Amino acid sequence: MNSEIEPRLDKLLAGMDDVRVKLIRPRRIRIDVPSESLPTLLELLQGKASYVHLSAISCVDWIDNGEFELVYHVWSYESQSLVSAHTRIPRDPGVYLSIYDLYQPAAFFERDIHEMYGVFFEGSPDMEKFILTEWDGPPPMRKEFNSEEFVNQNFTWEEYRPEWLEEIEAEGGGIVKPASHARR
Amino acid sequence: MKRKDISIPVEQPKRSNPLANVFDELMDFCRSRSMFMLHYCTGCGAIELPPAMTSRFDMERLGIQPMVTPRQADILLITGYVSIKTLKRVIMTYEQMASPKYVVGICSCTVNGGMYWQSYATAKVLKDYLPVDIYIAGCMPRPEAVIEGLRELMSDIKQGKANSWQRYYKNYDYYLGNQQKLFGDNWQTPTDIIAEARHYNLISEQTEGKHTAVLQQHQKPLEAFEARLKHQQGQAREQ
Amino acid sequence: MRAENYESISHPPSNEFELNFGPNHPGIEGNYAFRVKVNGDQVLEAKADAGYLHRGFEKLMEGRLWIQNLALVPRICVPDPVPMEVCYSQAVEDLCGLQAPERAQWLRVMQLEMSRIAAHLFAFGGHAATTGMYTPSFWGVADRDLMLDRFEELTGGRVYSIYNIPGGVRRDVPDGFLDRLASLLDYLESRLADYDNLFFRNQVFIRRARDIGVLTQAKALKWGVTGPNLRATGLAFDVRRDDPYLVYDQIEFDVVTEEGGDCLARNLVRRGELQQSIRILRQVTARLPDIEGPVRAPIPNPLAWNVPAGETYTRVESSKGELAYYVVSTGGDKPYRVHVRGPSSMHAVQVLEKLAIGARLEDIAQIMFSLDACPPEVDR
Repeated sequence: MNSEIEPRLDKLLAGMDDVRVKLIRPRRIRIDVPSESLPTLLELLQGKASYVHLSAISCVDWIDNGEFELVYHVWSYESQSLVSAHTRIPRDPGVYLSIYDLYQPAAFFERDIHEMYGVFFEGSPDMEKFILTEWDGPPPMRKEFNSEEFVNQNFTWEEYRPEWLEEIEAEGGGIVKPASHARR
Repeated sequence: MKRKDISIPVEQPKRSNPLANVFDELMDFCRSRSMFMLHYCTGCGAIELPPAMTSRFDMERLGIQPMVTPRQADILLITGYVSIKTLKRVIMTYEQMASPKYVVGICSCTVNGGMYWQSYATAKVLKDYLPVDIYIAGCMPRPEAVIEGLRELMSDIKQGKANSWQRYYKNYDYYLGNQQKLFGDNWQTPTDIIAEARHYNLISEQTEGKHTAVLQQHQKPLEAFEARLKHQQGQAREQ
Repeated sequence: MRAENYESISHPPSNEFELNFGPNHPGIEGNYAFRVKVNGDQVLEAKADAGYLHRGFEKLMEGRLWIQNLALVPRICVPDPVPMEVCYSQAVEDLCGLQAPERAQWLRVMQLEMSRIAAHLFAFGGHAATTGMYTPSFWGVADRDLMLDRFEELTGGRVYSIYNIPGGVRRDVPDGFLDRLASLLDYLESRLADYDNLFFRNQVFIRRARDIGVLTQAKALKWGVTGPNLRATGLAFDVRRDDPYLVYDQIEFDVVTEEGGDCLARNLVRRGELQQSIRILRQVTARLPDIEGPVRAPIPNPLAWNVPAGETYTRVESSKGELAYYVVSTGGDKPYRVHVRGPSSMHAVQVLEKLAIGARLEDIAQIMFSLDACPPEVDR
């Protein structure tokens, strides 16, 4: 059954330009699509090929290329296969279309990506902050945000100096920390 | 609107009764035998509390019982890492509790950030923000460890050693300073700690300082929380 | 008085009030909050407020080695940590082209089902407590603890076992473990009748839970619900059967479904799954002695392990629903991106917000526990 999916999708998407369909392994299909035709692709997948379940939307920050990669994972209960539709949008300004009209679960994922990456989805019902309501820094999942540096600037650490260690240190010993392990 | 005087009059009767210390000891003994704990499930450690409380390990035989409201609880259990968002609520909960009150930090994350030391979202050292009576380390500690830690707290209470709540009043400036560093200078809780410290006669040189001065600059007067119906509210406003 | 915590409430000219439900509330599962608007005790609007358990897992994982992340992943879902490990291990295996040996796959199935039993016992115990029945919750937690003992024997950890590593499992079962597991299964099966009498067939519970929080199949599909909550609406979808992983295609089990879609149906599905998990575990204990071989495929030095570049999407059926990991590697010793699709991220936020509308205030806790929402999966 699985071998039929790829030709069927090819036939379905024959009218679209720049769409590449690839069967990665049984039940996993990768589709690369330019960002302007992704909503059309998802509409076709949902309406004509029974991919009704949006499993997740993942965002990957390709900072070197100046791009965000958005991956839409949709599952079909009938053909029992998962399509991952990959598309790339420019990192700046980071605005894209919401697919809430097609898939309602998208509201959660788009809101999540908005607060973690700062990508704005036009047409999404709620772009308010959800998890990071009390966070006023930059979107933390962006690659330029360094969590470790932020922690070292903002937090102090509990010193661990038990008596036995002080005794050893009095004799000239102690814990030697390599410079790379220092928490500053 | 004129600000009401909300300070509580301080009365410190002289302890002339020779049995006063005996009563204190008796009180401490009784306190250690009936502890109501508020477990704020801030993190993973909360999963080991149901086994500790129910049939198998049964904390209740030691007089430790869960309590649903902070107003009537004696112990605040911080079960795991505290994210900054949670820490604000934890501090508010702590300040709502009636003294004497005890804080137990469960899990390694409350000691020093634990395995989330890199995380931008969690507070690292709990005792910078709240006075902690006892830490129960482990990731996560077993129910036996939790019970063992609480028994240690019980014996501390019995001997009158568990008085971290007094530290909070005496060193309020220090704790508030750490809180302000994390939450910003406009951080404020509905409880007036300095007035309470005056009430308990626990005011010390470190109670007030530059951080409480920052707080007092923008502190709004404490008012009764208004929750009225709109049409009545409108009438009340006109007056 | 900080404005964001204590804003004065603007009331419409009616009897509507806003209530903060949580984050520290006995009727809330975990550290999670709701802002509900009520008229009398009827909920008009509910807004979820998450983030109290946020640790930034996905960010942390980008900064740690592939093998170090194994210690992080189970912490994403506290009551049911094993599927997290398995799903992450599978993703790494997928990227490396590794294949776990057959015996390791059976051991993983065993551990997954043990975890499912523990999670379901905990879930219905919690649900019983929200309806005011405390005995089932005491029993559920006590019986779950027996399962945790087996976990401890197998892995050394009661809750977080970190037994799975990419390439297999850490070690083989101890001597006599399978017999003790089998006797525990007998005990649990004998308890099911007690649970039925006490809880699942108890009129107190049935009248309380029937027609509360009804989720129709069409709505469930539209809102992306998975797992037992979807099966309670009559759709037999289970990742174990429909997108098989490990050796689930060699195991006989039924996908339990119910028709009602209400709190009662969701609990009955969990009860049925307890039985099915026991059935699966019986097959595992019967088959495992015949399967020879190593429990771990050889892996490179885990401290200097450069996983080949690529991306993969792996799915596992956890006790709460479909759990998935999207992992991207650029060939380095750390992941480039890990995205966790928490099973609860759908039903703990959008679905709960919608089901709460029209319900009564005292039923919110029941609806939340019947959906088996797990807030750390939402916050991550």
